[in-house]
Amino acid sequence: MSTDAHADEWLLEARGVTRRFGGLLAVDAVDLAVRRGSVHGLIGPNGAGKTTLLNLIAGVYRVSSGVLRFRAQDITQHSTAKRARAGIRRTFQNLKLFSEMTALENVAIGLHAQTHAGFFDAVLSTPRHRREERSIRDRSMAVLHFVGLGDVVRARADTLAYGHRRLLEIARAIVAQPTLLLLDEPAAGLNVTEAAHVSDLIARIRDDGTTVVLVEHHMDVVMRVSDEITVLNYGRRLARGTPAQIQEDPGVIEAYLGRSGGNESAQA
Amino acid sequence: MAEAQLTGWFGPGAQPRRGVHFAALLVMAAVIALPWIEPDKFTLHILSLIAIASIAAMGLQVLLGYSGQLSIGQAAFYGIGAYTSALLTAKLGVPFPLALLGAGIAAAIASLLMVPITRLTGAYLAVATLGFSIIVYLFIKNEEWLTGGSYGFIAIPRAELFGHVLREPMSSYYLNVGVAAIVYFTFARIESSRFGRAINAIRLDADAARASGIHVTLLKSECFVIAAFVAGLAGSLYAHEVRYLAPNDFTFWKSIEILIMVVIGGVGSLAGAILGAAVVVGLPEYLRAIGDYRMLVFGAILIATMLFGEGGLAALCATLARRVGALLARLPRKLSIRNEAAQ
Repeated sequence: MSTDAHADEWLLEARGVTRRFGGLLAVDAVDLAVRRGSVHGLIGPNGAGKTTLLNLIAGVYRVSSGVLRFRAQDITQHSTAKRARAGIRRTFQNLKLFSEMTALENVAIGLHAQTHAGFFDAVLSTPRHRREERSIRDRSMAVLHFVGLGDVVRARADTLAYGHRRLLEIARAIVAQPTLLLLDEPAAGLNVTEAAHVSDLIARIRDDGTTVVLVEHHMDVVMRVSDEITVLNYGRRLARGTPAQIQEDPGVIEAYLGRSGGNESAQA
Repeated sequence: MAEAQLTGWFGPGAQPRRGVHFAALLVMAAVIALPWIEPDKFTLHILSLIAIASIAAMGLQVLLGYSGQLSIGQAAFYGIGAYTSALLTAKLGVPFPLALLGAGIAAAIASLLMVPITRLTGAYLAVATLGFSIIVYLFIKNEEWLTGGSYGFIAIPRAELFGHVLREPMSSYYLNVGVAAIVYFTFARIESSRFGRAINAIRLDADAARASGIHVTLLKSECFVIAAFVAGLAGSLYAHEVRYLAPNDFTFWKSIEILIMVVIGGVGSLAGAILGAAVVVGLPEYLRAIGDYRMLVFGAILIATMLFGEGGLAALCATLARRVGALLARLPRKLSIRNEAAQ
């Protein structure tokens, strides 16, 4: 009973998560607890291990040691696809869209795991196939409108403006209404207006019931939408707290101002 | 109507697709009418061979053009299909339609051996498929008791459908073209489906596909099985068209030929695979007049096609069709302007 209550509050827990690349400790015994229904910011200087930690949660890398729990289940050994099917979706720092597909098709891929029609359904055009295609189209359209891409649904992904491509990645990641959304620098390269739109979007995604882990360099975005923040430095957890607490933390201030840029060679 | 809507849902708009369907109908009409206009036996035989080759090429198109897996060993599945069908009909007296299906299934089962290698990509995958085709070639060549070895497999019966033996080149032409058409329309349907989108996604970005929950190795294996199945069908049709099989029909060169068809036709285009088959099979036949130079000219044509761009013949034809279409669209206006001027 108490474990249920615990799992209800903490959607994702990382315990002592470590990842080595050769001799480099990219992530060093990090604990992370993400509250269900919150936006959890993950910040730190370049090379602090933020993206590596995100990739460990997404399953791109396996942990060298430590445990990952998602909805009270040990997912440490699960593959990326299995975690995605369980409700962990992500965006990529260096945009990974399906370039030759339309915006609509890109989002439709996000619903792959929720649908079932296979080769023969398509060939025979079974009622299941037609029903699914219709629902995939409708849900994808709705999500494109939700993120603000309602005007470009039939444009090819590689013809979209940069800011639109960032939004399309988010649309693909949220169309299946994931339990946990991992955003890897969703506002990178965006101007102030676009970044504000993204913060707004993140808040709306959370309000729709998706928990968000946000890696971001735009401090105004992080401080505005995060409910809690974990600060990493040199692969270790430096601080954890509300945005207000983090902004006051002397260790964080030193890491950002005192010795910033001193760890460029480490894994970004 | 509902169908047209379905295919147009995800694509870049319904207009170009309608053009494609119209072109497909025109081609079909031409293909059906052809034997009545040009009933030359040799021509029909060549067209049969083109249809057969296009089936194997369309299979590779799904594998390479859609899922992005380069196989240079499709001749193995083609060969397995050909010998399976020959054995089933000649030695066991199995009726042709069942042998055709059996050939496809045998090739598909053999392709399951490829499942472990679908984790490989690019050149590594290609070399592994080549290894498989070398093994199959050696098997065909050395197991004389089963395949006739280097002497070849002789006295393969003609294809028969519903109790009718297809003696006339025209009837076997319709059989081969008919199977090719079925394969074409089958694959055309998966283009805009959940399965089709997923395998395209794997080709474009496997990491992003995984992050969307797509089971990458499973779908890649399915593509291998599909490509092998149709290569097996093509092999069976070939066996009954030519009625004599030799191991040398199924060497590395055959795999390369199938790959050339896909590449010069246009990677990713089903119609391109058919065009490519027409060029690779048809051109050397019609270049016989220039004797030993024909392969030289053939090679030069390959290089020239590649220089025209990555889209291959399919893209070239599409561009031409667009230009002609634009010209035709402008024509009535020009005429009316001229009429007005005359008045």
